[in-house]
Amino acid sequence: MLEVHNLEKVYGEGDTAVRALENINFTIRKGEFVLIVGSSGSGKSTLLNMIGLLDRPTSGKVIIDGIDTSTLNDNQLSSFRNSKLGFIFQFSNLLSDLTVLENVLLPRKIEGTEESAVEEAKTLLRTVGLEPQLNKFGNKISGGQAQRVAITRALINKPAIVLADEPTGNLDSLSAETTVHLLKSLNRKLNQTFVVVTHDRPQFGQVDKIITIKDGKIVEGELEAMA
Amino acid sequence: MSNLLRKLSLKIKYQTNLYLFVDYRAQIGIRFITRRKGSLIAACLAIAIAILVVQVNSVIFQGLYDAIVRDLVNYRFGHVFISKRGDFISRSDFMLVNWLQRIPWVQAAAPRLEYSALSINSTVNGQLIQDHNAPVPVLGVKPEWDMAASTLYQTVKGQYVSYRNSIVLGQLVQRDLGYPQIGDTVKIKFKDQFGNDVLKRFTIVGISATAGNQGNDNGVIINIDTLREIMDRPSQSSEIIVRLNDPSKASDVRDLFLSAFPSNADRFKAQTIEEAAEVQLAGFRSGIALINLVGFFGMISSAFGVVTIQMMQVTSKTRDIGVMRAIGSKRKDILLVFIFQGIVIGAIGAAMGTGLAIGYTTYAKETHMTFNGSLALEVKYNWMGLVQTDIMAFSLAIIASIYPAFKATKLQPVEAMRTG
Repeated sequence: MLEVHNLEKVYGEGDTAVRALENINFTIRKGEFVLIVGSSGSGKSTLLNMIGLLDRPTSGKVIIDGIDTSTLNDNQLSSFRNSKLGFIFQFSNLLSDLTVLENVLLPRKIEGTEESAVEEAKTLLRTVGLEPQLNKFGNKISGGQAQRVAITRALINKPAIVLADEPTGNLDSLSAETTVHLLKSLNRKLNQTFVVVTHDRPQFGQVDKIITIKDGKIVEGELEAMA
Repeated sequence: MSNLLRKLSLKIKYQTNLYLFVDYRAQIGIRFITRRKGSLIAACLAIAIAILVVQVNSVIFQGLYDAIVRDLVNYRFGHVFISKRGDFISRSDFMLVNWLQRIPWVQAAAPRLEYSALSINSTVNGQLIQDHNAPVPVLGVKPEWDMAASTLYQTVKGQYVSYRNSIVLGQLVQRDLGYPQIGDTVKIKFKDQFGNDVLKRFTIVGISATAGNQGNDNGVIINIDTLREIMDRPSQSSEIIVRLNDPSKASDVRDLFLSAFPSNADRFKAQTIEEAAEVQLAGFRSGIALINLVGFFGMISSAFGVVTIQMMQVTSKTRDIGVMRAIGSKRKDILLVFIFQGIVIGAIGAAMGTGLAIGYTTYAKETHMTFNGSLALEVKYNWMGLVQTDIMAFSLAIIASIYPAFKATKLQPVEAMRTG
């Protein structure tokens, strides 16, 4: 369960201060597939960074599985991200010096449980059709394949919430369609919470919830209306 | 062949999954640097060259120092040098040499008598030529004993002194006298201990020449008995040189001698080569220390090179650092990634440097390296020094990685991914 209370993010100080997020409140239940939509610069990626604990809010709270993350120090945040959150980025962000398998195993290596994860990783990669690419380096596969590896990497630790920032933004239409289908099927199959930032709302079809951001605020009424 | 090896290494690496279980920070650190061949080669070369520079300095300057010590032992002082404070040794040289040669570590001992001639001249092609560098150092030796205790005789072209009127000219004296040849005669004027002039004619039997003029090139060598007679100092010597079969026992021989002849009347002074040649060697030792300092400053410059390369690595890996932080790596994990890079650079650089240093040392040793025809360097493999230099270079590579690694830990994940 993810709860966001009175979230605010301000960049800069005084006259030059920019209010990127203001008075953000919502709750996402386990297993929901949620879209965060909005135009470019509306603050949706900033919101995702706050939920993903990659950046600290100026005020407000992000509560994940009952834990108030504002009380955690830097090391605790790192461990929390590793165990509770999975990230899928727009550019896949695989480490080019690691192979596909090593990239997928990285979160488990960080956790220190990679020994039991090799077979799991291979199974996941088989699921997304990438078993033949297992030993290729991250920069030697196509963009669509890289995004599927990134999805696998996000899932290997069985996180409570998977956060995706424009996961189809850098893909051709066919790869984008495959990726959306994969995300939604994994959401149903694994019953994990997915929070996806996108500017292409129709691509995702029916979802559990949509949060629309405009000028750093949730647009009144749209939260429930579009769900 | 290389393709086969590559396939084999991949097979071992991935089928056994061994590599997957290496500490991920080490794995990523090693991958980051080994997949950037240019950076790796540049950083390793910086370390290797630093080691080579220190080793070249050591081979040249320590080799030169050791060569000077070697020649001072061989030509002038022996391993132990015995003299009398402020006077000539009046005890029988037979007795002293026999006593010394009973010590197991003593290979041979020989008396010498040093004096200065007022002038020396020769007639070459009918022209009288006087050595303008007078007074000329004169060394009196007992030929058979001296040839056992010193290698000065090996520097002589012709014959070593033998009969009473034979003389060996140093090559500089020969030059100053207009190059008289073996078989020619020279006349030397001495002053005896009572102030009387003594004129003596000698026949040249040999010319002494040494690299770097470390031998007796600016003096002459005659029979000790002739010189004693001229000086009117029968049985007296100015020193006894002692050659050891085990040079490390020089202090023991010195102490044994002084304890055996403690008398105030003798006033013996016994010194090891380092003590006897202190004046000649002290300045050189300071020079070596200075050169070593320069070498180590060079090493620090290399460390700055490693810092620069590592900073470039951090910059080029900003996005990867951000991703690692996002998926759970702590600051100390990022620090360790770049420290492991430093370890790889240090280890490969030290290995390369060691190879180059050993190669250079072997070359210098095998070719009896000299500079401008000077004395041949006394090259030794200084393993301890090389290990110390390696450890220092290896440590510097790691230390040089700390600052870039620290900078990497300061990157916020969201900023790193945005700017990377």
